[in-house]
Amino acid sequence: MYKVKITTVIVIAASILFISLFLGPKVINPFSLDATETNILLSIRLPRVIVAALVGVALGASGAILQGLLRNPLADPYILGISSGAALAATVGLLSGSYLSCTFSIPFTAFTGALVVSLLVGMFGWKRGGILPERLLLAGIGLSFLFYALLMLLISISSDAEMRRAVLWIFGDLSLADWSLIPYGLLLIVSGLFLSISRAKALNALMLGDDLAHSLGFSIHKEKILFFVAVALMTAASVAMGGTIGFIGLLIPHIVRFLIGADNRRLIPVSALCGGAFLCIADLIGKSIMHPAEIPSGIVTAIIGAPYFLFLLRRRDVLTT
Amino acid sequence: MRKSIVTVIAIISSCLLPPYAQGGATPDRIISLAPNITEILFALELGTHVVGVTNFCDYPGEARKKPKIGGMSNPSLEAVISQDPDIVVMTTDGNQKEFEEQLRSLKIKTYVFKARRIHELPQGIRDLGHALGVNERANVLAGEIETSLRAFEARGLDLSSLPHPPPGTARVKDRKTKVIFIIWPEPLIVAGPGTVIHDIITLLRCNNIASRSRGAYPKYSLEDIIRQEPDFIFIGKGHENVREISQGLLKKISTVPAVRNGSVCFVSDALYRLGPRIVRGIEEMEECIRSKSLQ
Amino acid sequence: MSSPRNQPILLFNNVSFTYAEDKPFIDGLTFSMEDGEFIGLLGSNGSGKSTILKLACGILRQSAGYVSLWGKPLTAYRNKDRAKLLCYLPQLLDLQVPFRVRELVSMGLYPYDIPPGITVDEALELVGLADKSDVFVMNLSGGERRRTFIAMTLLQEAGLVLLDEPLANLDIKYQLELLRLLRELQAQKNISVIMALHDINMAMQFPKVMLIKEGKILSSGSPEHVLTKDLLKEAFDVGIEIRKDGSGATYMSYENFL
Repeated sequence: MYKVKITTVIVIAASILFISLFLGPKVINPFSLDATETNILLSIRLPRVIVAALVGVALGASGAILQGLLRNPLADPYILGISSGAALAATVGLLSGSYLSCTFSIPFTAFTGALVVSLLVGMFGWKRGGILPERLLLAGIGLSFLFYALLMLLISISSDAEMRRAVLWIFGDLSLADWSLIPYGLLLIVSGLFLSISRAKALNALMLGDDLAHSLGFSIHKEKILFFVAVALMTAASVAMGGTIGFIGLLIPHIVRFLIGADNRRLIPVSALCGGAFLCIADLIGKSIMHPAEIPSGIVTAIIGAPYFLFLLRRRDVLTT
Repeated sequence: MRKSIVTVIAIISSCLLPPYAQGGATPDRIISLAPNITEILFALELGTHVVGVTNFCDYPGEARKKPKIGGMSNPSLEAVISQDPDIVVMTTDGNQKEFEEQLRSLKIKTYVFKARRIHELPQGIRDLGHALGVNERANVLAGEIETSLRAFEARGLDLSSLPHPPPGTARVKDRKTKVIFIIWPEPLIVAGPGTVIHDIITLLRCNNIASRSRGAYPKYSLEDIIRQEPDFIFIGKGHENVREISQGLLKKISTVPAVRNGSVCFVSDALYRLGPRIVRGIEEMEECIRSKSLQ
Repeated sequence: MSSPRNQPILLFNNVSFTYAEDKPFIDGLTFSMEDGEFIGLLGSNGSGKSTILKLACGILRQSAGYVSLWGKPLTAYRNKDRAKLLCYLPQLLDLQVPFRVRELVSMGLYPYDIPPGITVDEALELVGLADKSDVFVMNLSGGERRRTFIAMTLLQEAGLVLLDEPLANLDIKYQLELLRLLRELQAQKNISVIMALHDINMAMQFPKVMLIKEGKILSSGSPEHVLTKDLLKEAFDVGIEIRKDGSGATYMSYENFL
């Protein structure tokens, strides 16, 4: 029933990923490249598009997984507080001047921050030998508040310039895309994707409830932990590479679920692909609208995403489709 | 009866009238709410009168020993009051208007330094000097700055006027030197129109390639720098490790002639403060260009 | 579906279980179930029916004794292998699942790498939902939703099916329909069923009833044997008697009511 739709969606998403290389703030004609344009294409646009695609993939997939795992259609990767932990860590790094003075320092700090928060959330959400979704959610929200408060504290005592840098990073800065980061990001995100897609049946079963998932032959504690790990890795990697970019994890799975159904064997990979394509478009807009200045992609996704989210809420069946 | 009514009215109106600083005697206790103000105060030899500075006031050295009253956007009202100032000097660029209103409602004298652009600086110093009763010294200082600025303008960074133009710029005799000033490399933030740095670039008769953007300190497009091919790239030393931090950026734009020719200058943050040191900052920029062009 | 063996398909041997730190909720429970039985597990709310079913399928772990399935300890089975033999339907079915009927039913195949036999369409036909295969499960009525999950258990081809109060909250028409459906399926597919319920009327329809109170088996056998006045008084704390009238139909009679 969904085959035609799936193929169409995949083709469109892949095309967007490819074409956005050439559109940029100025259209590059692939058939007439001179040295300058080739340099721009390869050392600036290509890594940036790859990072946008990877980050979008990670967030789209993580959103789909979390919405199934937490059995909450409003879940998104940042609801577990991972983004606030990463933002706090990155801001500390930016402000404290304890720069390792290489391209890795901020991404590394952000990644560590994200993982630490994931660990904390996992610990708080743990009870009686397993992860309880409700506790995860509450722990995530609680930690988010705490970290954002600390973040605001840091920002309030920083200078104007420092504040600007921190805020720009927090709002999603794909301009930091660098070839040296990409292998690590690719490894982490592909691992997370592989881990989750290979177990997608377990996630389907978990969505029916713990008892039924057990009845269908899944080890519910083990599966929940594995999915949580996949989400933590992918989200941490995406935040490390591109800052905190919201709404992708929340909205893309909704749209994809509406188009091709809720079976996670299809939902996770297609959400990933559409997340990547969507972020490429958002980045394109951010680069082009106020050229030569750039708007952080997180702001573009918020401006597109928030109204769409509110529009979704008006539909009766939003919680299910 | 009438006398007492008049007295009452006089008392009430003097309470209602906002206290504002007038020219006259030099206040004994001055608080500065901005680093550039602190520098100006010390340059006007009022350093001994300064009883409070912000956390960011680090020049000159004596300023660091002064009592701190907080940040620029969030100074502590208590700390200010506890220093019992005769006057608080603040700027429109970095301090909050609300704070000034708070000070006024507590009957503390304030002076707002309104100069934001380079051509406003000399007059701003004169006005401040007038308010603080040091007219002569202010005139001298302002005069020095004006002279320097005129000299800079006359010399300019016009490449054709240099004895040895930088390599690859022989063809640029008929156009203005293209320049970009990078405030921070990652994320790439540059000085845009409406900033003091932009004024300086214009003063030096160069073209700021970021002038097409709309914000003061926009996050800038790397592609644009590559396409615009600036002749000189300035990077402001806002942080001690800025040279290392900039390596990533410079690698990405390595095809730009300025990078290839080594026409990249790191300049101190003297340019970031609208005060007496700004002249030194401009000298730095000039010096760097000249040294590059002599290679 | 597993082949029958010459031993009880389900055996509880001195099983104890505690929810809280004090006295055990279930203490020393022992019973066995033969192949092909259709048992009604009858008791009041909180008498331990759900707990027994959850212990039987491994959702809860006993603190003493052991449970065996087809002669082998329950814990010795790998999850997937156990799922091919035994399935469990909880009392509360989540309303918010975003799946269509067909998708949900086909999840019964998850324990298998190769589909064992029955197809989704056949299962839907058997439960009478063939025309609703593309409807979203949450848009179905309560009874239809139950039947969807029954179809899913059919696909799972388990030899032993444990149902926790599947008749709760259904109109009597659908209760009887569901019961009849289960009986038919049991006869056709030779599955064994334990169904927890607290409706004495329905219990009378079962060939075998186990009466439970406070985690203990009061009695086990045919409804005539088990649903006596004294036992019912002990189990439900109310005076009820099952009587036969002239034509042989049974009815419940209440003592001094109104």
